[in-house]
Amino acid sequence: MAAGSVSLVQAMQAALAAENAAIFGYAVAGAHLSGARKTAAEQDWTGHTETRDTLATMISALGVTPAAAQAYYRLPFAVHNATTATALAAYLEDGVTRAYLGLVAVSGEKWRTFGALAMQTSAQRAAFWRGATQAFPGLQSS
Amino acid sequence: MLAASAAALPALLATAGCRSSDVFAGPDPLAGRPPLSPDVITLQEVIAAERAMIALYQAAVDAGARPARGLAGLLAQHQQHLSRLQASLVLPPGSASASPSPSVSPSSSRVTVAQLRAAERASAADLVRRLDRVPPALAQLFASIAASDATHAAALGG
Repeated sequence: MAAGSVSLVQAMQAALAAENAAIFGYAVAGAHLSGARKTAAEQDWTGHTETRDTLATMISALGVTPAAAQAYYRLPFAVHNATTATALAAYLEDGVTRAYLGLVAVSGEKWRTFGALAMQTSAQRAAFWRGATQAFPGLQSS
Repeated sequence: MLAASAAALPALLATAGCRSSDVFAGPDPLAGRPPLSPDVITLQEVIAAERAMIALYQAAVDAGARPARGLAGLLAQHQQHLSRLQASLVLPPGSASASPSPSVSPSSSRVTVAQLRAAERASAADLVRRLDRVPPALAQLFASIAASDATHAAALGG
């Protein structure tokens, strides 16, 4: 990642886009899950929705119009059962973590802290869905 | 010829109204090592903390804490953290060794999973507190490690 090369607004809009993609994706994943995993997917969908609203408010406060969600998102692979739905959830959280990593690179303690804490939330969700932790959430592992 | 020119330099400078300090305006190479920058000191402190975490995990593994396989996996990720942090540290030649060894020896007492969980949480919080003191790329590394530590705490039951 080209650290420091992204403006605050760009980083916030990228995080918002990732949240919107996660909201869409969880709706797809949740349809193929049941029991405790369906409940977890619903909780994560709610969490992303709330964070999306928070981000939109923060972006508006910067005097910028928050980017609208797309009507449809292309999924990275076909989702047709619980296994692929679980993999999609982990994929979505990885994307959210990467997006917030961009916010950590901008100047300002407030923004860096917000991004870092959001990374912790999405990394924990990803670990739940993947069933394993990662050494470097959001970064290339090399 | 060269010796004669060098000997004539002070006279030439005086003629031009210059002092030697005007000519050599950069860091004085004879003044000793420059002080380490704040972000380097921060990185050294984080490396020391990561070493302490590894020592804590190693003590838990050596003491047979459960689940052994899970702890070994988390320990391996902390070793990856340490390697990447050390790779980010660039010290001028002759600098003192970067990070002191952990000041406590966790092997002297039995380390519990609850202690590991608390240490992971504390580490994640400490890294976030340091984000504003370092350049963007290092802040991203700290944030990523903090996120990993947060997942470790959750994996340990927290």
